[in-house]
Amino acid sequence: MARPAAAGSRNPAARRDAITGAVLLVLAVAWSATVWLTVSPGRFGVGPRAFPLYLGLVLALLSALLLLTGLRGLRRTSAAAAPAGDDGDSPAGAPLTGWPLVRILGSVTAIMAAYGFLMQGAGFVVATAAVVAVTMWFALGIRRPVMVLATAAGITAGTWLGFGVVLGAYLPRGTWYALF
Amino acid sequence: MDMLLHALAASLAPETVFAVAVGSLLGVLFGAIPGLTFTVAMALVVPVTFSLPSEPAIGLLLGTYIGGMTGGSVSAILIGIPGTPSAAATVLDGYQMTRRGRASIALGTAVAASAVGGFVSLVVMMVSVDLVARLAMRFGPAETFALLLFGLSTICGLSEKSFLRGLIAGVLGLMVMTIGIDALDGVQRLTFGTVTLQQGVNLLVAMIALFAVPHVIDAFVQYYRNEKQVDAGTDVRAELPSPGELLRHGWLMLRCSLIGTGVGAIPGTGGPIAAFLAYSHARKSSRTPERFGKGAIEGVVAPESANNAVTGGAMIPLLSLGIPGDPATAILLSALLIHGLIPGPMLFIEHPDTIYGIYILIILAYVFVVAIQLLGIRFFVQLLRVPAHLLAVGIIVMCGYGAFSIRNSVFDVYSVAVLGLLAYGLIQARIPLTPIILGLVLGPALEREFRTALILSRGEADIFISSVPSALFLGLAALVVGGQILRSLRGILAARKAETPSHASADTEPRP
Repeated sequence: MARPAAAGSRNPAARRDAITGAVLLVLAVAWSATVWLTVSPGRFGVGPRAFPLYLGLVLALLSALLLLTGLRGLRRTSAAAAPAGDDGDSPAGAPLTGWPLVRILGSVTAIMAAYGFLMQGAGFVVATAAVVAVTMWFALGIRRPVMVLATAAGITAGTWLGFGVVLGAYLPRGTWYALF
Repeated sequence: MDMLLHALAASLAPETVFAVAVGSLLGVLFGAIPGLTFTVAMALVVPVTFSLPSEPAIGLLLGTYIGGMTGGSVSAILIGIPGTPSAAATVLDGYQMTRRGRASIALGTAVAASAVGGFVSLVVMMVSVDLVARLAMRFGPAETFALLLFGLSTICGLSEKSFLRGLIAGVLGLMVMTIGIDALDGVQRLTFGTVTLQQGVNLLVAMIALFAVPHVIDAFVQYYRNEKQVDAGTDVRAELPSPGELLRHGWLMLRCSLIGTGVGAIPGTGGPIAAFLAYSHARKSSRTPERFGKGAIEGVVAPESANNAVTGGAMIPLLSLGIPGDPATAILLSALLIHGLIPGPMLFIEHPDTIYGIYILIILAYVFVVAIQLLGIRFFVQLLRVPAHLLAVGIIVMCGYGAFSIRNSVFDVYSVAVLGLLAYGLIQARIPLTPIILGLVLGPALEREFRTALILSRGEADIFISSVPSALFLGLAALVVGGQILRSLRGILAARKAETPSHASADTEPRP
């Protein structure tokens, strides 16, 4: 179990490039095939199919190159080549991986989607307050009810005033009930 | 003259002035908070501008852009963390000045240098924008296509150290933009028969997903890892340097402003590159280079005048050719388009008052930015103490409502959720986001001009090389691409030469 992790950490940049290249290559091939099968080539000249098709093929070529670069980097196990090279802008510290990262990614995506769903059904005010409170309580694990409620009320009131009153933008009122 | 007065009247209407003030304040705040950049601020503000008339809308965005470029220096100087990447060079000497008890004068000098940089670049922009637009007036589809291709190639080549990843990003952006109904033939492309995909991926949805959502995820990750924020000092104010002091740096400011304007005018570059170039120029040309890095005031003057000068430089290709050079100007472009103003040579004929209006709004924005920094710095430094994860909760609300308000559609909110997750994956894979955005923005025009040119020439491809400007731009694009390929090949060869069996060291191993 420890083997692949150790091999990865020896040259994480190369491993990442290889994975990225492979994923993008699959995507590019699927894209090109879909375009070939579903988009009509047009009656004359450069039709609607050419651009998406050639872009897909170019992406396939580029991602294959990235995959090769990554694989070659992996084969060359020297650790010295990995870090200094082109790793300019990565944040300090080891990247967060595994279950905690999946949990954070999942919760942010779910929160966002739930916010959209609630905004339509329950209206802007209820949705905003609920999403802020739930995010703080569950996703961030802040177990201080007064603070959570105060922040939820504050953000809701602030955005309601800013968007709805000052800018006069449309705030959904919700389709589940007719309160306001 | 008549036009100028008209523009003046439109730009100085109370609601426009108010919008610029709000934008400047937002920009300075977002710029000052590390992690939040003016690009995030602009992506979140754009949906709001739909309900406004065009002058206040443009004013709000210009204020955010300029305020953000300037605000980054605050946290760079006070806590040694750049508020925006553009302020990274300011940290070198600005933070050293704070540690030596000269924070006030560093902040004041940064504001003054920023304003000077902005004004110099505005003047250069006013002169060159007209010139470039007049040249571009005669461009047909073939020339426009070649120009767009050249712009995209510099964007892919310069926005990231790896040209391959830059190209991949650019192609990804172009691909996404082909989804939907084809503008020329009306054929459905990759919609899978669904109605929601017929309009294609909304540009603003993509912007919010690419810039704001990864920031939220990052803030949550940092909170999970219990990373502490650096505390900002409590009692700070900005103190303007004396006129004599300013005059002493006048020549340096002017040179760095010109560097910034020049760099800004090249698509794909931007604030960080300009600021570091100016910093090293200042150090090289200094009589006492050893003082740099130890709190030299020139080390604040140079990057701050350069990064603000980028704003004017970036406006040159945007206004005269309709080519945005970075995400911020791409957002500006989309806002202009929404209000029916199409940047490019025709804008100078059809809406010259808008162009004048933009100049006036930029001046106005600088007035507000300087005033906010001088008067309000005590107040908004407190904002640096608001924990990042709580700010992120606020950003979630703004992302969600921002996405919704673009078309009053919940589908867009779901799209932001999914695309944001993908964007985070791309960042982790070190695929740069800037070429994606510019691919998204320029993609439709690129395809349209290419196909129109071929229709005009009845399918003869030599329309692209028979005109001088077109051949020139295609040649330049080939040069950029070829140069980058050569550079990476040389890098590979050098790496192969240096490849000696090194000891299997474990010193760089991160903790598991």
